[in-house]
Amino acid sequence: MPHFKSSEELKKILGGFFNILVSDEKIGTKLKESKLIIKFNYRHPDLSITVNCALPNAPITYNDSETKPEVEMFMDADTAHKFWLGEVNLVMAIARRQMAVKGPIPRILKLLPVIKPAYKMYKSYLA
Amino acid sequence: MPDFWQFSSPTKVMFGKGLSIDFAVELEALGITSALLISDANLGKSGLLKPVADSIRENGIKVIGPFTDVPANSSLSAVKACADFAVKNNADGIIALGGGSVLDTAKAANILISHGGDLAKDYSGAQTIPGPLKPLIAIPTTAGTGSEVTQAAVILDTERGTKLSFYDQYLHPSIAILDPLLLKDIPPSLMAATGWDAFTHAIEAYTSLQSNPFSDELALPAVRLIKEAFIPAVTEPKNLDAKGQMLLAATLAGIAFDQAMVGVVHAMAHACGGLSRAHHGTLNFILLPHGMEYNMPVALEKYATLAKVLHVNPKLKKKKKLAHLSVKVIRKWQKKLHKVCNLPLKLRDVGIARDNLGLIAKKACEDGTSFYNPREVEETEILKTLERAW
Ligand SMILES: [Fe+2]
Repeated sequence: MPHFKSSEELKKILGGFFNILVSDEKIGTKLKESKLIIKFNYRHPDLSITVNCALPNAPITYNDSETKPEVEMFMDADTAHKFWLGEVNLVMAIARRQMAVKGPIPRILKLLPVIKPAYKMYKSYLA
Repeated sequence: MPDFWQFSSPTKVMFGKGLSIDFAVELEALGITSALLISDANLGKSGLLKPVADSIRENGIKVIGPFTDVPANSSLSAVKACADFAVKNNADGIIALGGGSVLDTAKAANILISHGGDLAKDYSGAQTIPGPLKPLIAIPTTAGTGSEVTQAAVILDTERGTKLSFYDQYLHPSIAILDPLLLKDIPPSLMAATGWDAFTHAIEAYTSLQSNPFSDELALPAVRLIKEAFIPAVTEPKNLDAKGQMLLAATLAGIAFDQAMVGVVHAMAHACGGLSRAHHGTLNFILLPHGMEYNMPVALEKYATLAKVLHVNPKLKKKKKLAHLSVKVIRKWQKKLHKVCNLPLKLRDVGIARDNLGLIAKKACEDGTSFYNPREVEETEILKTLERAW
């Protein structure tokens, strides 16, 4: 059974969490400094979330085919859920084909230390 | 050791003098009827390609090409031209004979030949290839990059001035043919620079955050072979046994770093590569001992083991002293290679301006290989390291 029952639920929970991240004083500032436009393509259930850190408020859009991302990631929604719980090592997930990345990988590797505090935040956000 | 690791090296490795004109039966087994031969212009002129092509034709397999329009740093346009040529001629397999650039061109072209699309837009990154590729036989003519056994390719986007990397399990070549005879006429300085690249792969794979028991057991034997064969392979051009050992070492190191990745030496070399025309191996030659000293505080244990492999008879017992001995031995080799084939010892000697070191430090921290280095790659400390190497 997938963790998220529907695209709507995925949008509400993960989209909601991304909104918290980009408005967080520490994490949000660093994300915006990166100017990265990243699109997460989820499967089971299907949804894509684009986070545009190149714009001042880092707007988050869903199934957005207009914003051109610099990096795209592809994964099951369950993998994303586990990632934000801090249970998935990104490098290993790529090696195991649980995640695919289109674009310059160092751009996201560089953000890993930035989002480290987010794992704890995700746990309390879900609670 | 990481919490999770895996090991897979699906490339069949074959070694033997004269093997590059005696492997057609392998093509048959792979179901290849029309093989595209990829190489570069220099090798085209060298006379090495004809016997290879003849030996394949003699076995009733069609040879397409050779396609030799491959620059020293392969580009998107070269890959596209190569793929178009293969598709137009209905190639169902690829033979790549050359150095790293030729092998990477063949790997990248194979993506387009097998699945079509736009190389930069659809495939740059990791694990983006939708399924298996056409069989690819990689025949290295240098003992260095290890590309004959890795799942990576690097291609220059000339328009944007950036290097695109491709990392995918489907990029592993089907077969690597290691033929020492192909290294018969390699210039000593190229033998030295490419050999040093292989040496750096072995050392960085061994100390990487992603190293695992399997990769370690390939990296250390690679170092052992390099210790025995490196200097004779450079100083005695006729010594094909030494050259063969180096070829083997480069492949072993290639499998090791394909699993374990590399680290700060490559991060700095890649960053310098953006500003200098020097060979990648030459940059590693300058930077290796400096990168090792950077990692010394966190890699004592492994460098101590390395010293036992590198030094003929290490009498030292203390781990710290042994670890430092490993760098000392490497500096000694450096001096020797500098003397015999004039490889530069300082960054200032390869066209790097001191003013650019800050920028290089920044780029090194952003390089993908930094993330596997055992010590955090930190800009101000890297700048100090680069100053010492300058
Ligand atoms: Fe290298």
